[in-house]
Amino acid sequence: MSGLLTTSVGSLPKPPELQAARNKMLRGELAREELEQMERDATAFWIKSQEDLGIDILVDGEMDRGDMVTYFSELLEGFTISGLVRSYGNRYYRKPIANGPIGRKKPMTLKTWEYAQSLTSKPVKGMLTGPYTIAEWSFNEYYSTFEEFVMEVAKVVHEEAMDLERAGAKYIQIDEPAASTRPEEMELVAKSMAVVTKGLSAYTLTHICYGDFEAVIDDLNSIPVDNLDMETANQDYSLLELFRGHKSSKHLSLGVTDVHTHEIESLEQVKAGIRKGLEVFSPEQLFIGPDCGLKTRTADESIAKLKVMVQAVNEIKAELGIA
Amino acid sequence: MITTVVGNYPKIGPGTKAPNLRTAIGKGDRGEMTPEEIMGVRAQVTAEVIQEQINAGIDLVTDGLIRWDDGQTYLAKAISGFSFTGLIRYFDTNTYFRQPVVEGLLKWSKPITVADYEFASFNSSKPVKAVLTGPYTLAKLSQDQQYHDQKRLVLDLAEVLNQEAKALQAAGATVIQFDEPAILKHKEDFPLFQEAMDRLTQGLNPTLALYTYFDDISGVYPAFLKLPFQIFGLDYVMGKANWDVVKEVPSDVSFGLGVINARNTKMETEAEIADAIKRIAPIVPTERLYINPNCGLEFLPRETAYQKLVRMVEGSKKAVEVTA
Repeated sequence: MSGLLTTSVGSLPKPPELQAARNKMLRGELAREELEQMERDATAFWIKSQEDLGIDILVDGEMDRGDMVTYFSELLEGFTISGLVRSYGNRYYRKPIANGPIGRKKPMTLKTWEYAQSLTSKPVKGMLTGPYTIAEWSFNEYYSTFEEFVMEVAKVVHEEAMDLERAGAKYIQIDEPAASTRPEEMELVAKSMAVVTKGLSAYTLTHICYGDFEAVIDDLNSIPVDNLDMETANQDYSLLELFRGHKSSKHLSLGVTDVHTHEIESLEQVKAGIRKGLEVFSPEQLFIGPDCGLKTRTADESIAKLKVMVQAVNEIKAELGIA
Repeated sequence: MITTVVGNYPKIGPGTKAPNLRTAIGKGDRGEMTPEEIMGVRAQVTAEVIQEQINAGIDLVTDGLIRWDDGQTYLAKAISGFSFTGLIRYFDTNTYFRQPVVEGLLKWSKPITVADYEFASFNSSKPVKAVLTGPYTLAKLSQDQQYHDQKRLVLDLAEVLNQEAKALQAAGATVIQFDEPAILKHKEDFPLFQEAMDRLTQGLNPTLALYTYFDDISGVYPAFLKLPFQIFGLDYVMGKANWDVVKEVPSDVSFGLGVINARNTKMETEAEIADAIKRIAPIVPTERLYINPNCGLEFLPRETAYQKLVRMVEGSKKAVEVTA
């Protein structure tokens, strides 16, 4: 029997000097090559750290991404970037603006993925942002409907996923954190995901968060990916109850560590979480990871959280006799 | 015809003269600026955004709600009985607010927005509209751990906000707007909403406005337009069905026509704005029309918000020329 594969959602903390270096580069005080070298060093650090921790499916940690939508919009044709808008409190961001047909000039994530994969024999996940989220987190000045905008973005995300697969990616994750914004649009989330994953033989995952999923649990199960990656620890695993009543053949990545607290979960807490997951999903169906990207935590906190996670998985696997 | 805004205005932008509020709050977090100094910056930004609205040609301005983090917490912090919990999404937007928790019986203890209104009036050459979030929306966006009875909670909040409005009236406010977007998402609560609006507006003499956004009033029309207000703000961008639903408007009320999309940067054309005004004119004559964006402008970058207001004013002028 196999199962309970461990992974991370996507982002990992950047070394503080990397942000400073990026700002310097933007001011023209640092050559782009120097910044890229620092990004590669940081990626190598995280690949090594994840290997040392014994994680099964690795991520590159997104050392070269500031934000999960702006990163793509800056590389795609058809987008410009807005002035600052506020999201809450004193947090501001620049929002992409679609003002022409969206197109892909060249592969966007391939170089970083290939570099990360070259450092390890473990599989590294290809990490993409889904079309619904890219469109929902942008202004739209070009397409006459939101749906048209989403479906056009889906085509370029599909091209990128195909490139990752051709390069050898066995796991491709297409994140849709915005999917829960409007329950009535979950169908559009699924429809656009179908364009993205069409013809892919790689194992596909999607990470969805911030939502009230009660009304949309069946729609969630209809999104054409192999694995739903959900935050569960920060809601005391209440989401599992919804899956209990709506049995799914999908795999689930269970979030067992809260990425918004400094506190490191205890071994017993994480094991209890995994056991709750096993009440609803078989070990083969269940992947174990953090709730969300760890980029808001420090490197030490992230490693400590992942260490507890791996240990908890190992102990439960020993109990169940899983290799 | 009067041009106005719905409420909030972007707090920071390029090339502004007032100090940058984002920087100031950042300094405050690091202990490099006192809360009083930050309030000073908020005051300077407020004066600046009032002037910016006037420069755009707006007839009836607001203070831009520069002191508000969001529509809920600024009021809830000053009402006894509230505490706060985690961030949650504001309707279907990509903005978040710290959710108020009702932990005790809600009571008005002191004026919340009166000094803000006085400051804005003093700093504006145009009339100033006071803006409050309505009791139903405030209740709906809060977590109730006290009442366990939506009706009592909403009616208590109506009482609290009625007292706040009376304080604004005493300070000389001539127009007070209440924002109630939440009722459009829960139309089954309309009977309670009617009762709350009666309580809210008791004994108030200023011109009262009720603004809704993000949806249309199908299902509560025509009763909605008989609520005790003189101005009704309706969203004709996200609530396009309002064009089909609202066929008749009582002759004693005015209309806030939300025709500029404050949630997208795409610029409306003067012709589109003028056309919307011409289209509504047979239902509401232009002398009873307020022209405004569909909701607060803070979803936009500051420079776009300003450009949209300029365009709105130009489009309105064009409509007047045509209909005259």
